[in-house]
Amino acid sequence: MSVSFHQSVRRALSNPVLQEALDNNAARRKAGARRANATLDDPVAVRQHARAIRQTVLDDWEPMLARFIGACQANRIVVLQASSAEQACAHVLEIARRHDVRLVAKAKSMVSEEIHLNPYLERAGLKVVETDLGEFIVQLRGEPPAHIITPALHLRRQEVGRTFAEHLGMPYTEDVSAMTDVARRTLRQVFLTADMGISGVNLATADTGTLCLVTNEGNGRMVTTLPPVHVALMGIERLVPTVEDLAVILQLLPRNATGQILTSYVTLIQGPGKLAIADGSQHRYLILVDNGRRAMHATPLAEGLMCIRCGACLNACPVFQELGGHAYGSPYPGPIGSIVSPGLFGVAAFGHLAKASTLCGACQEACPIGIDIPRMLLHVRHQHFSGGGGRRYLRVGLRLFGWGATRPSLFAAAQRMAALATSLLARGKNWLRWLPPPANAWTGSRHFPPIATRSLHRRWRETQGLARASTNGHPVDHAVLRPSDPEPAESPSPQDLCVQFTQALTAVSGEVIAVDPSQIFATLERLLPPDRGPGLYAGQAGAAPALVGELNRAGIEMLQGQWPAPSDSLNPERAAWGIVWAQAGLADSGTVVLPSSPVGTLTASLLPPTLAVILSQGDLHADFAAWLAAGGKAELKGSPMVVLVTGPSRTSDIEMTMTLGVHGPGRLIVLLTP
Amino acid sequence: MRVQLFATCLVDSLFPGVGEAVVAVLRACEVQVAFPLDQTCCGQPAFNAGDWGSSRKMARQTIEVLEATQDPVVIPSGSCAHMVRHGYLQLFADEPAWLARADQLASRTYELSQFLVDILGVQAWAGVPGGTCAYHPSCHLLRGMGIESQPLQLLESIPEMQVTRLEPDCCGFGGVFSVDQPELSSAMLARKLQAVHASQAARVIGCDVSCLMHIEGGLRKQGLDVRCAHLAQVLAGDGGGLR
Repeated sequence: MSVSFHQSVRRALSNPVLQEALDNNAARRKAGARRANATLDDPVAVRQHARAIRQTVLDDWEPMLARFIGACQANRIVVLQASSAEQACAHVLEIARRHDVRLVAKAKSMVSEEIHLNPYLERAGLKVVETDLGEFIVQLRGEPPAHIITPALHLRRQEVGRTFAEHLGMPYTEDVSAMTDVARRTLRQVFLTADMGISGVNLATADTGTLCLVTNEGNGRMVTTLPPVHVALMGIERLVPTVEDLAVILQLLPRNATGQILTSYVTLIQGPGKLAIADGSQHRYLILVDNGRRAMHATPLAEGLMCIRCGACLNACPVFQELGGHAYGSPYPGPIGSIVSPGLFGVAAFGHLAKASTLCGACQEACPIGIDIPRMLLHVRHQHFSGGGGRRYLRVGLRLFGWGATRPSLFAAAQRMAALATSLLARGKNWLRWLPPPANAWTGSRHFPPIATRSLHRRWRETQGLARASTNGHPVDHAVLRPSDPEPAESPSPQDLCVQFTQALTAVSGEVIAVDPSQIFATLERLLPPDRGPGLYAGQAGAAPALVGELNRAGIEMLQGQWPAPSDSLNPERAAWGIVWAQAGLADSGTVVLPSSPVGTLTASLLPPTLAVILSQGDLHADFAAWLAAGGKAELKGSPMVVLVTGPSRTSDIEMTMTLGVHGPGRLIVLLTP
Repeated sequence: MRVQLFATCLVDSLFPGVGEAVVAVLRACEVQVAFPLDQTCCGQPAFNAGDWGSSRKMARQTIEVLEATQDPVVIPSGSCAHMVRHGYLQLFADEPAWLARADQLASRTYELSQFLVDILGVQAWAGVPGGTCAYHPSCHLLRGMGIESQPLQLLESIPEMQVTRLEPDCCGFGGVFSVDQPELSSAMLARKLQAVHASQAARVIGCDVSCLMHIEGGLRKQGLDVRCAHLAQVLAGDGGGLR
């Protein structure tokens, strides 16, 4: 294992494409997280709060899990437990057989990588398609993901272009938006025809039994909305006690993962869709995966279970920046992976990963939960060493050094001998240019100072306690030279939620137009091109009858009652644009809250390339927590699925180039009415 | 004020001049310095490499040596101070008797710049040569001990001293890591050397001779004439490199 790890290290270091990609990743993600965290009023307090929340999960785990399972069952979600990877895979296959599934559309899920689900299902004759753009690319190439957030991090656009030309029959291109468009069209057919969707779960709440998915492209929404069957895979530690606690963690997860205030989509699932129309998959299953988690909870590595999988520690780690994810040989790479991998899969197989660290602490500093990764890396190293791991010369050398260092006079004698030996090797030079193996591991890239012929001990003894050690330097009593810290800038807290909402949404490429209710249709007419093709809207029965009349007269049909839609014009897949009514808006992130509805709000807001959302100013709230407190929690409980939409669908999966409109709408217009 | 100096094995064996500078600086602040002669190594290399059996032996010996008096212990290394203050608590988590002794020692242990600024209240320093320097925030000092303003305050207060703060990126030393993972270590060092070069400073200053030895070893290998120095050497008016 260790030999192959060293080979992986060399391979990574000698790959210039990878090195450039990793440098870009580190620079962009670190700067993004810094900017996004700075938008919090008190980032330290939020982190402490989030840590306390995750700590309660570890302290109160089994009762909380039982409450969560009860809540899910009350929501009519079928809950299955899997103690092992094998059992989890078997559950998925059994569900697939029950529903006669042939094609599976899969959103990104770390747990599915962990349990090796795809090969298992493929062996059973199912076709499994990864639908996250980055995952789709690495699946076509037969590779594992290189980063938990950015799976195709290691590839340049040329390589993606060649992969698409080879597998998708498109002419070779280096145009990222053209590649994204082909992926959109290819995968759209998968979403519309898949018999089953599989997703992960970012976080789940024990009080409401909510499954929360945090995504950007829209594929996570597709696989939980369109296929008749949805299976969610969840590690049993991904819990928070309440939906209010979820609101706290959601302040940190996107900020530290991608530098966003909120991702384009936050999907909150409370149960199966109720109708034959696509307001959510009609059969929902949740598979709770243990696979070593309960065992890990009983070890000093338990704190690793507090991870929220934001990937910030990967982006901050100087070793990850050299290696990328593949070298770690685990679905969980980077600093937290060097805890979670040995924690779940054993120190014997993955303990060596803990040595790929200088214990610099950048991971803990970056971690929004403040997980003490260095402490646990030390623990893994101890276990690995105790199990006989490590290079033989280092094991012997450390023992010998420890033996000598506890015998001061012997230590002094050894210093003198070493001084003699190194002075011979130095041949009169100040520093050694070469040391014999195995110490040449140092001198390959560094000179080494010879051991001093007169140690500090010896100097102290020979000079009556360094009696002559002196300096002209002296402390200065007066004059405090340090400039005082600048006054903290008064963070503007705009009373006007509309202004804040507009700023936040336009910052993420959304459009906001203040409009009088009577002018909605005229405004839409002006905004949308005349050759816009068929449109559809998800109307609230009885709402805005004048507008509904105008829409109908313009040949814009209402989506209602049937899925799949019977006619082309009603088929959201063919519709050029969708119109929906928002239940609420969140000012801090520029988010619209869309509930599932009998009129197909979730479908109409997802499939067409352009989306118009009508939002009343009176429904604006400061943030997600404020909405929950103002009745949102009850709305949530009563709705099988609620989606928070923040800007257009987006991806940065190819060379971190931002592209809008991957799977969901590429254009989002919010019509803000008084 | 009296203190015990725990010089660290690297200073003792490789850079005794740094130890002399520490003594000179403390005496300039009218501190009496004791140097317990049975001290060797705090046990950090073995601790970090997973050999906790060896590390405990060295830690016990260090605790015993420094229990000679109840005077504060000053360590001219962020890394070794971090070991005594925090590492020992993890090392002896299951040995209550030693844990109590470790805890007591931790409560009176300070890194040098921390001791000068936070305990002695030194605000500024004068009487030594200035020049251009790049300050390297070493990882255990910065993130383990939470120390950065103290050394920067002292350096920046020196008349005619121009200080550039390097980004807090690890230099790639990491103790045994530097020979266990030489390729990774060297790649990280290369980035640090680029940052040093970009700063155009004549010297790199830090509070850990381990990192400084690593950086100067790399500078010398590349044939560059930038040198490293410990903060104590700067405060002692020593204008040269580590040794």
